[in-house]
This record gives sequence, C-alpha cells and structure tokens, in this order.
Amino acid sequence: MSIPSIDVRKLTPTIGAEIFGVDIGHGVSKGQYDEIRQALLDNLVIFFRDQDMTLDQHKAFGRLFGKLHIHPEPAFPVAGHPEVITIKADENSMRVAGEVWHSDVSCDAEPPMGSILHIHNVPENGGGDTLFANMYAAYEGLSETMQSFVGGLSAMHDGNAAYRDKPAVPDPDKVYPRAEHPIVRTHPETGRKALFVNRYFTEGIVGLSVEESNALLEILYRHIEKPEWQCRFKWQPNSVAFWDNRCAQHNAIWDYFPQRRFGYRVALCGEKPV
Amino acid sequence: MIMERFDFLVRSCKLADTLIDVQKLTPSIGAEIFGVDLGAEISARQFQAIHQALLDHQVIFFRDQKMSVDQQKAFVRQFGELHIHPGPRFPIDGHPEILGIWADENSKRVSGEEWHSDVSCEPKPAMASMLYIHEVPKNNGGDTLFASMYAAFEALSDPFKRFLSGLTALHTGAAAYGGGRSPIAATNIPSAEHPVIRTHPETGRQALYVNRYFTSHIAQLSRSESNAVLEYLYGHAEKVEFQCRFKWRANSVAFWDNRCVQHKVIWDYFPYRRNGHRITVSGDRPFHQI
Repeated sequence: MSIPSIDVRKLTPTIGAEIFGVDIGHGVSKGQYDEIRQALLDNLVIFFRDQDMTLDQHKAFGRLFGKLHIHPEPAFPVAGHPEVITIKADENSMRVAGEVWHSDVSCDAEPPMGSILHIHNVPENGGGDTLFANMYAAYEGLSETMQSFVGGLSAMHDGNAAYRDKPAVPDPDKVYPRAEHPIVRTHPETGRKALFVNRYFTEGIVGLSVEESNALLEILYRHIEKPEWQCRFKWQPNSVAFWDNRCAQHNAIWDYFPQRRFGYRVALCGEKPV
Repeated sequence: MIMERFDFLVRSCKLADTLIDVQKLTPSIGAEIFGVDLGAEISARQFQAIHQALLDHQVIFFRDQKMSVDQQKAFVRQFGELHIHPGPRFPIDGHPEILGIWADENSKRVSGEEWHSDVSCEPKPAMASMLYIHEVPKNNGGDTLFASMYAAFEALSDPFKRFLSGLTALHTGAAAYGGGRSPIAATNIPSAEHPVIRTHPETGRQALYVNRYFTSHIAQLSRSESNAVLEYLYGHAEKVEFQCRFKWRANSVAFWDNRCVQHKVIWDYFPYRRNGHRITVSGDRPFHQI
C-alpha cells in the first residue's frame, strides 16, 4: 500500500471529510485523484480549503471525474462557460437556490452524479452554511418493513415547481425536465442503497393515491432531515465542496440577507438511477 | 427607553470586545469565546462581558479549558445558585450539583437525544447549563445542536404569535424520567405549567418555550388541536436556520441559556465513550409579558 498523498479528516461518523494537502486547481497527480475519488465515495461530500482557481481550472478539475453537466435552468449563466453556474445572493435577492433539501437536478432523466462548488465570497455575518445529509444512512435507518415497501416504489421528479416563475421573465411555454426514478437507488460505484426522494423535485409516488403519496413522502422527508446523518459546513473564501448527488442531499441556509455570497458550481454528468 | 436600552447594548458590546474575543458561529445563535481561562479567577468586568455574550449569543463555547470540579462550580456560581438535578443517572460523590454525562459501550440510551430545554418540567426550570466535556468519542461523533427560540418565535407570522401568546402548556418529566429511566420515583416526577411564549427576564425578548421532550399538551386546546399545533411548532423550532452545530474536543465547554435555547445531543458514536460534567444554574418561574 502506498503512502497516502492527501490528508482526510472526517467531520462526523456518517458524512463529510475535509481534505488537506492538495491544490485542486493546479494539477492533481494520479495517486491524488484516486484518493480524492475514494474519499468522495467513503464520505459522500468532501471539502477543500484555500483553493485559488480560475473557472478553467475549476472545470479541468471537474472533468477529471467525468463529463460536465449543462444545467437546464441556470439562474445566473456565465458567458462563455455553459458548464458553470453562478451561485450568488445579495441585497437584491428575492430567493436563493437550494434552500430546501434536495439532490441536484433530480428532475433530469440522468441527474448529475456530483457537484463541485467553489465559494469566493462569504457573508460577513457568519451565515451561509450548507448542510449535507447521508441518504445511505437514512435508508439504513428505516425499519425492514418500510425498506421493502419503498424499495418497490418509484417517484416522479419534476423541475416545474423548482424552476417555473424563478427567471426574471417567466416563460409559460417552457418545458422543464421531468423523470421517474426509483425511491431507493443503488449507487453504481459502491453498490449501497440510498433514499432518492427530495422536497424540491419529487412530485409524487407512482401508483399511490395523492394522499398516500403525500403522507409517505412526508414521513421520508422528516426521516431524511434527522441531524444524525448530517454534517454542517461553514464556508470560508476559496472553500470548495464536492458532493455525490447519488447518495447525498444538501440544503443551503439563507440566513445572511442582505449580505453577499458568491461562487461558481460545476456538475458532473450522471447516469439513469437504478 | 428603547434608545437607552440600545445605548446600553452598544456599550456592553464594546466592553465585551476588549475583554474577551467573541467569534459568532451563525447569525442566529452561538459564539466561541477566546482569551478566558475559566479555571482562574476572572475580573468583574470579564464576568460581565461573558454574561453579556451569553445574553447576546444564547450559547457560548470555550476551548481547551482546564478546570477542577470546584473551579467549574465556582465559575458557574457567579451566575446564580447551583441547581440540583431531580434524577441524575450518574451522580458524582460529594458533588450533588454536578451531573455526570456518560456514554460508552454499555449504554442503552443517552439523555437529551430529543430537542429540549433542560428540566422544563420543573416549576422553576434551570436558567443555564454548563457542560464540560472531558473525553470525546474516537469516531468524530457526539456533536450537539443548539437552536435559538428567539429566532423561532420571531419567524412566526404576527397572527400566529398573538394566538400563542395567551396559551400555556403542561410539561412533565414522565417520558424523560419515568419508567425506570432515572432513579426518580413515579410519584415524584416533576411537572409544571408554563407559558408557550416565554419572556426572557434579562433581555425582554420573547422565545418559544415548548419542546418534544417535556411538553405534553397546550392547556387551552383540545387534545387533537394541541397535538397538531405542537407538532407544527416542533417542526418549526427544528429548522436549521435557527441552529448551530458544535463539534466538541476534549476540554471544550458549552454554556447555554435554557430560557431561550433548546438543544439536542447526537448519539452517533456507539460503542465509543464520551464523558463530562454538567453544572446547572437555578432559574426563575417562566412568565409571559407583552
């Protein structure tokens, strides 16, 4: 076994680790790449501090892990960089994206497998933390009876509620992504089972009445949101978070209005959930 | 009157700045305090600054503290009379004011896994609690969450605030201490009726004062109405916007104000060991004043 070239420090027993000893914008060795990928699989979300990188470097780091995803409805597109979305909130913001627990763009037929967020400016009031939750742990925390019930079900995910009326000029004819996914998803790399429904995109459970679906989803959402399978990350300028959407959900806290928070995100293409 | 109060706050904040180093954890709740040795004698002005930080941030944290049991008691006594817990699971010989906090490979449960305000089932619940953790679990678990009940109250709509303002709720230790969960005899389990919205006696701010662990029902509502309203309020109080999450190290200290804070411990470290000492300051009878 080779000597590890990166330093992985777990944040909680269930999810999250900070990675030290690597400058991700300036060339990652094969050994470091393998260790970072393993750290992501082991910890679901990994964090890097003090990363100074350009958009091109950010994209290059992302491309090491797969093809970059193009967001269907970026709130703030970046000229010349369709793979990059701007994350920003300031004194003019009426809302921020991702204030509800979610897995990124789960309304896509092939939702992004991972996302890499580089934060440049943090709000001065100490706000703007992000929470991440482990969907393996949430699944494993269900009773066996409930596991087998939801294991046989699928749910519709719809971008309509999340994205319509959000652009400055809403387009009534725009068609937003919509997809059916299993409620329990098997991670293609680890083989572990994870809950894959979320408040932001999931519309209903296929084959159940609306009332049954609402009740069951509410049970699952409340269960998913237990702090026992969460970590909470406090950003600094040039912090980076890299999370696996196949087994993690996240929730961005907007507790810093009217202050400013700014950064860029790239996402990696994923496969159809199974 | 308001301006005087504001001036006082500004002055106290300035005072606090020069005597201790206060670093906020989130906009709603929590601050780490640096530059204080709690085991040593502190000056009256430094005490005042710490007291003000507790009022401002509702829970304050200190790192790398070395205190004997007597030093911990001496520090906390400056805030008021020490509270004796009605049913300690891990009493410490010769120190009835100390509540031992202990979990290890033999633990079947830990205290405080539900959101709560300490002993709100008592007629005069503990005003503040200081927990001094000696040993942290080896797997990085055992964080504690704290939530601001000022922020939870302030985020309610005005009509809902008015609705709650006239109500009182029954709190009981039955679920926490009954059924053999503590040495307290069934006939001695504390219970009390408290306002749903509590006015903080020092800051004058309003705070939501019901919690899953001790509150049984709202006195003025039917049982089904009470269940529905309480469930709504618990879900609201548990929003992450009102919280901070504290990661302990050996010799970290947390000091929280039960009059405006709820907390929840996370037991994600079985079979590892976590232990420490808690000391609690006696409190007054909760009241509501518009």
